[in-house]
Order: sequence, then structure tokens, then C-alpha cells
Amino acid sequence: MPIRPLDRELKKGSAELLVLSLVEDRARHGYEISKLIESRSEGALKFNVASLYPLVYRLEARGWIQGRWVEKAGQRRRRYYRLTAEGRKVLAAQRQGWRVFAEAVRRIAGVDYA
Amino acid sequence: MPDWKRIVRGRLAELKLEGSSESEVFDELAQHLEDRYEELLLSGVPEAEAERIAVQPLNASPSLVEALSRARRRPAPEPPARANHLSNLLYDLRIALRGMRQKPTFSLLVAGMLALGIAGNAAIFSTFNSLFLKPLPFRDSSRLIDLNDTAPRWNLHYVGISEPDLFVWRERQSTFDGMAFFDDPDFNLSRMGPAQHIRGAKVTRDMLDVLGLKLVLGRNFLPEEDRPNGEKVALLGNSLWQRLFSGDRNVLGRILVLDNEPYKIVGVLPRNAVFPDRAEVWVPLAPKDDGQNHGWYLHGIGRLKRGVTVEQASADLLRAHRAHIAPGLNNEITSPILTPIRVRYLGDFRTTSQVLLVAVAVVLLIACVNIAALMLVRASSRAHEVAIRAAIGASRARIIRQLLTETGLLAVVGGIAGVLLGRLGLQAIVSLLPDTMPRWIDFQLDIRFAAFCILVTAASALLFGLFPALQASRTEVSSALHAAARRATFSRSQRGTLNVLVVSEIGLALALLIASGLLVRAFHKVTHVDPGFRPENVLTFDLDLPEQKYAKSEQVVAFYRQLLDGLRAAPGVAAAGAASAPPLGGHMGQFFIAEGDRPLGPNENTPVVLQVIVTPGYFDAIGMTLLAGRQFDNHDGESKEHLVAMVNETFARQHWPNASPIGKRIRYQRDPDAQWWEVVGVLHNEKHYGLDGEDRPAVYIPQPQLPWPLSLSVVLRSYSNPQALTAPARQILESIDPDLPMYGVHTMTEQLDRSLWVRRAYSWLFGVFSLVALVLAGAGIYGVISYAVSQRTNEIGIRMALGASPREVLANVLRGGMVLVAAGTAAGLAVALAAATLLEKLLFGVSPRDPLVYAAVVLAVGAVGLLANAIPARRAAALDPMKALRTE
Repeated sequence: MPIRPLDRELKKGSAELLVLSLVEDRARHGYEISKLIESRSEGALKFNVASLYPLVYRLEARGWIQGRWVEKAGQRRRRYYRLTAEGRKVLAAQRQGWRVFAEAVRRIAGVDYA
Repeated sequence: MPDWKRIVRGRLAELKLEGSSESEVFDELAQHLEDRYEELLLSGVPEAEAERIAVQPLNASPSLVEALSRARRRPAPEPPARANHLSNLLYDLRIALRGMRQKPTFSLLVAGMLALGIAGNAAIFSTFNSLFLKPLPFRDSSRLIDLNDTAPRWNLHYVGISEPDLFVWRERQSTFDGMAFFDDPDFNLSRMGPAQHIRGAKVTRDMLDVLGLKLVLGRNFLPEEDRPNGEKVALLGNSLWQRLFSGDRNVLGRILVLDNEPYKIVGVLPRNAVFPDRAEVWVPLAPKDDGQNHGWYLHGIGRLKRGVTVEQASADLLRAHRAHIAPGLNNEITSPILTPIRVRYLGDFRTTSQVLLVAVAVVLLIACVNIAALMLVRASSRAHEVAIRAAIGASRARIIRQLLTETGLLAVVGGIAGVLLGRLGLQAIVSLLPDTMPRWIDFQLDIRFAAFCILVTAASALLFGLFPALQASRTEVSSALHAAARRATFSRSQRGTLNVLVVSEIGLALALLIASGLLVRAFHKVTHVDPGFRPENVLTFDLDLPEQKYAKSEQVVAFYRQLLDGLRAAPGVAAAGAASAPPLGGHMGQFFIAEGDRPLGPNENTPVVLQVIVTPGYFDAIGMTLLAGRQFDNHDGESKEHLVAMVNETFARQHWPNASPIGKRIRYQRDPDAQWWEVVGVLHNEKHYGLDGEDRPAVYIPQPQLPWPLSLSVVLRSYSNPQALTAPARQILESIDPDLPMYGVHTMTEQLDRSLWVRRAYSWLFGVFSLVALVLAGAGIYGVISYAVSQRTNEIGIRMALGASPREVLANVLRGGMVLVAAGTAAGLAVALAAATLLEKLLFGVSPRDPLVYAAVVLAVGAVGLLANAIPARRAAALDPMKALRTE
């Protein structure tokens, strides 16, 4: 079910959670992150170059993710991001918070997000 | 393809990020656009359209530059509201590091002082600890006692033990678990590759038990092997086992040829069999129990019974010793002397080590005082900041924790630097130690002690570093900002304490400087003593002729004559000779009387005389000066009727103070049948016992007259570099006797140099310490006066506002500081005058009140004091009265 009417603030709050979740298991570069958000949300959530990088840099400045330039044979160098130990804690906390929030919305609005 | 990087750069031109950060952002964004563009192309979008779509988000986001630069900015180091202890600590550390960067001079000063204090203490203490405190590598080593005979009436402290003593002591004592006796001969080891010279030991079979050692392989000597004419067996030392047999476990039963005699290997010693020192092989002593005294040539070591004191054991042995007085045994003159083994072998070092420890403790004290003073100065300048923090809600604990972190960081930095420096210092000290140090001493930096030093200095830093925090937390927040600066000052009595600390610091530094000045002067004096011979261009080496091969005295004389003739013919050799004891070459004592001496009373001392056997040419080779008469020639000693000798000045003065010794006769005192020897020459004294040693009487005897001992030192004088003679000399020796190793090859200057190592080491160390002390004291004065000036800023401002000129302010501040310097100097002089007499023994005739040293040191301290005062004084004089008053 498409969720286009999502509130701007809601999207912003969830954006951190999305990025952190995507680099939880493996390091990914920026374009990959944006493509994954788009494909896994079936096009409901979209990040472009202008909206993604301020977010990524902010997460990095807070020490939650860490970027590293990687050069692979035959490719241009890309910056890969991975979750830090600190980021892992934040992600756990945000997941829990989001779960509580979604549960509350479900109870009140009878909408099933999860 | 479009140039994405150029596009991004153009779009984000206003983005101003530091260094490489900016181009990295451009790179990353360009890569993203390229990925997007290529994906669009792949899905069939035309190029121009694809480029437009890819770039579109950049253009559609007017606040991108701001968003990016905000995101890239590091967040302020705020501790998270509910952070754990670790992140709090990290936060504190970050602030502390920032503080260190902001005040690099201060941080360097504090850390440097800590490092100096810790390094010096750790290095010296570790040396002391290795020498005197660490247990020896033997079981219950504190119960091991050196045994010897002493004979004050012969003017000899250690005589050695005779064989009759050995049996009497061993059988009649009741206070030892065991006693072992040994001789420490050198052996020529042959038939195992090139002939070599090794140190060995002849030991009684109790040695293993007394030391508490277990063999690696094989068995101990059997009782019958430790008796005269017993089978020749050997215990192989661990290092020799590795060197000769590569640790082969089938070594038992193999033969070792020592001094041309075969010894069967019956066992291998463990690695910690490091006593007798440097012995690489043990063979049985097999003492003769015939009641005859064959000389006092043995050493002994005993293991005390548990709970027995050295005094009790001494009394026990003395009783046994005295009960056995037989004719010719001299047991009424000699008596046993018992010394804990470490004291026996290291006694010499004890005084110097203790003196150095005191010096180091003083430097540590000074370092602590200084750090305290500096922390106070720092604290006063921080008072305002701390007050603000308290005012905006920082808890007392939080502020204390922050200050603790800062001082702790300085202590850690200083501590690490100190330990590293200390390790270097220890290496330097060990490299100064002589070769003769017992091998069982193992030098290592004592980490526990280094930790102790770090704790002491860090504690003083913490104590004083905390002062502002304690003050601030007592301050009422409402009035904190208002009166912060004044509240954080000290009471008059507290400032008085600080002054006393600085005065004592100056005093200690001055006393230390005077002590080192005296020692350096003494060292200088020693090195300029006339050695009585010409040490330059002289090479010496030792030979040890095996008794079996050179049984007849003619063989010995012929060998040396042939060798020396060969050496003299070699190019570059100016003179060659040999002697049983060249300068610094050890002591062989005898007792002499001269014809016509008045008879000695029963309790009178006969001075011990150094007896030296020499070949012709020796005096020219070593460069001694003939004062009267003639030297020996090749005919001396040939006639059995007419025996000759030469004496030194001291001997001549003792026996014929008012007459020429030439033609006078001397003989051995203890043998009434001994022949008379005619004195044919008098020699200038040589400094036989080292440049700072005493002059003793000496008698020189031509070799054919007394061809014993078999081991002589060959002395070669060259025209130029004496070391170049080593190889030709070895060749000549090999052509005469290929089984004979040449060992102990040294130049004479090298030996003189080494003989002064103890003096050089402590003079040098003292010098370094006193300079460190002076620098620290200077820093201390600077710190305290700076502090005083910062406290008086307000007062100085008022004075200046009322018309005081900068010159008057300068003079006023300087006066205050120089009063401290003067008081410290006076105190230091008093200490130095009292303490220097304790050094007198080490001063080699330099007066403990040498005016030159005192004057130079007082001037130096005054100059450093003035300099340290001048900096804050000038700062005070340069104050702007308006600003000064505003600090209110």
C-alpha cells in the first residue's frame, strides 16, 4: 500500500533509521543506499543526491556510521559506509522507539504499518 | 559523458569546507550523479534528458550548500545528556587535550619535569636494586656467606684461606649447613679447535649443595675424586657446553684438555651456576690434608643454618680457628672473616650508589615542589573559568573530575616519557660499569619503582591541580563570577609555605651543584695525576704457561726470552718486556725486611710489599723512570749466589730514609733462611692500584731468579697505534707455542680509562643531576614568581595608577624573587658545607670547601635565579594599569 501522505517530519525522523538499517550488515555506498530505499519501499520513499548526502554526512559526523574510500579494480573509487559500534546502539534505540510509535499509531488510527 | 565533477563544483561553489574534505564531497556527489545518469541511459532515456534528470535535484534544492556544510561540521563536544562514564571520560580527555594544545609551554614544563624526575629515579634506583636488593639467583641466597682470613697485623684485610684452615673450619664448625672452598684458576683449553683461554674453578664437592644447584646432566664429583691424586673429572659450565658441544646430551664421558691434562666430563652445570664468577668449567679442588700450609690461596662460601646470624657464625669459626694453633700456621695472626656474599663482591659500589640515590631523591623532591608551584600558577589563572562552570551548573564532582583528567593526562605523558628516558639512562649507566662486575647481576628497569615515581609526582600534581576545583565548589554560585579571582587566592600562610618550598628547592639544587662541582674537580685532578709510567702507545696481553709443559724454570725463562726477542724484531715495536703485574695488573703481596732494620715488635705491622717479577726490557716498555742505579740485564739472576732486586721510591723511603738504597740488601721477612738480595736500582713509583689509588712499597725481581708465577703480562711499546701490534704478536706467539692462547689484550690507556669508571660514572651522573636540579629550580622560581605577580596584578595596577614607574615595579618584583634566591643560597651553602665533608673520601684531596667551586655555583644559581625572576618581573612592569585594575 503506498504511503505518500507521510508527513515531512515523520519522513525525516525515519530517514536516519532507514540509512542505519541499510548499512547494518554490510558497508554500502551512497547511490546503493538510495536505490535500496527506493526499491525496498517499492518507490514510496525516494532520496536524491540533494536529500541523501546531508543526511549521510550528519550521521557520519555524529559517529554513527563511518565512510571509507574503496577502490575496486576497473571501477572508480566509491565511498562505502558502515555502522559503528555507537551507531549500532543508536539503531537499536531507534528501532525500539519506532516500534512503540507504530504500535501507538496502530492502536489509535487502526492503521497497520508494520 | 558530462564532466560531473565540474558540474557539482559549479553548483556547490559556495561550499567552503576544510582541506581535502571539500573535494571528497565533490567526488562522492559526482559519482552519484554518474551512477544515476548511466542507469537512466540503460533504461533508454536519451543522453540530454538523462543529464537533465540527474542534475535536477541539485538545482531543485536551494539550501543544499548550507545543508551539506552543516552536516559536515563536527558537533560540539557536548557530553550526551545521559552518557555513560566512558564517554564522559572521553569528553574530559578531549577538553584536556585542547587545553594542552592551548598552553603548550605549560604542558611541556609539567610533563618534562615529571619525565626528568621519574627517569633519573627509575634509572638509578634500578641500578641500585639490581646491585644490592634483588636476590641472587641461588636458593635462599641471603644465607650465603663469603669466608676468608683476615690479618690486620699484616695490613691485609683479605688474606685468603689456607688448606689447614679449610679442614679445621669444615670439621669443627656448627653454624653452617655446608661450606665449600674454591680456587679460580684460568685454564688453557686445547685440542678443541684453536687454543683458548677460559676461566675455571677448582671447587670442593660441596659447592653444588651450598649454592643449592641441580645438575642438568650427570653427577657431582665423588668424594674420592675430590682428594689429592683423584681421577681428573670436570663439570661443564652451561655456556661452554653450548659453545663446544652445541648442547649435545651425549657429552658425558668425553674428554676436555685443560692445561694439557685430560679431564673426563661427568656432568653439566645449570645455567644459573654463575658462581664462582665467570667460571666455565668446574674441576675438583682436591685439597691436601697434610697439615702443611701451602699458602692462603683459597676462597670459601658457606650456607648458614637457618636462624644463625653472621655474628654467631663468626664467633663459632673463630673458636674453631683459635683452637688449632700449630707451628707455622699463623692462626694467632689470622682469623676468619665472614661477609654476606653480596657485600663482599659489591662493597665498593655501596657508597657511590647511596650517594647517588640521595641525589636522585633530591631531584625528585625538587620536581614535585616545582610541579606543585606550576599547578598553583595554573590554578589561579583557571579560577575564573572554574567559577563560570560552577555558575552554569557544573557539579563539584564534575569539575573535579575534569581537573583530575587534565592532571592525569599530564602525569601519563610525563610518566611514559620518564620511563623511556629512564630506560635509556639505565643503558648508559650499565655501559659505564666495568667488565669486572659479577655476571650474576642482571640489570633491568624496575617497573614497580618507575610506577612509584609516577604516583608520587602525579599525586603532587593532582593535589595542587585540584586546588581551584575545591575552592570553586565552596564558592556560592551567586557570588562566584563576581569574586572568583580573589576567592581563588591563598592565605598568607599558604603562600608562605610555597615560599619555603622554593627556598628549599634552591638550597637543595645549590648543595647538589656544589657536590657535583667538587666531584668533577676531583675527577679532573685524578685524570691529571702522573701515572709514573707512559701509558700511551702501550699494548699488553696475558699468557698462562701450563705447568706440565713448562715444568723447569729454564724452559719458562727460555720461552719468554725467545718470545720477547721475536717481538722486538717485529716492525713497529719500540720495546718489549713482561711482568707478573704491570700497572693496574693486580697485587701479589710479600713481606720484606732490609738488612740493618731494627727488629720488629711482636704486634708491629709489616707493610705488605708488592712483588713484581720482570724480564729485561720491561721498564722501557712500560715507560717507568729509573731514579738511581741500573736496570736488570740478561745476566741478572743467572748466578745463584749474587741475587739482585730493584725497589720503588716508597720502599726506599720506608727502609733507608736518609741513605742511598743502592748496594743495600733485602730478604723475605717470614723465612729466616731466605737469601739476601742486593738492591741495584730505584724506580719512580707507578700508580699500580689506579690513578686514585695509594702508593705502596714495591720490589722488582728479575725473572730467572724467581720464575714463578708462570703467567706474565707481555708489554709492548709501539711507535704508533699499539693495537696494530696484536696480529703480528699473535703470529709470533703461535710460531713458538701454537697451544698457548693470548688473552686480555688491551691498550694501557684503555685500562687506565676503565680503572676510573666508578669515579667517572658518579661524577658524570652527579653532574647531570645537579644540572637537572638547577633547571628545575629555575622553573620553580619562575613559576612561583609568576604566580605572585598574577596574584598582585590588581595591587600593581593601583601602584602604577598612583605613579609608580615600570622601573620601580620591576625592581619591586625582582626584589621579592631575589630574596627567595638569597635565602635558598644561604640554606644551600649551609647544607653543602655540612654534607661535603661526607664526600671527602671521594674527593682525592680536593678540599670540601674548595672556594672556586663554591663561588662558581653561587654565581650560577644567582644568574639562573635572576633570569627566572626577570621574566615575570618584566611582565609586571609592562602591565597596563587600566587593564590591571579591570581584572577586579
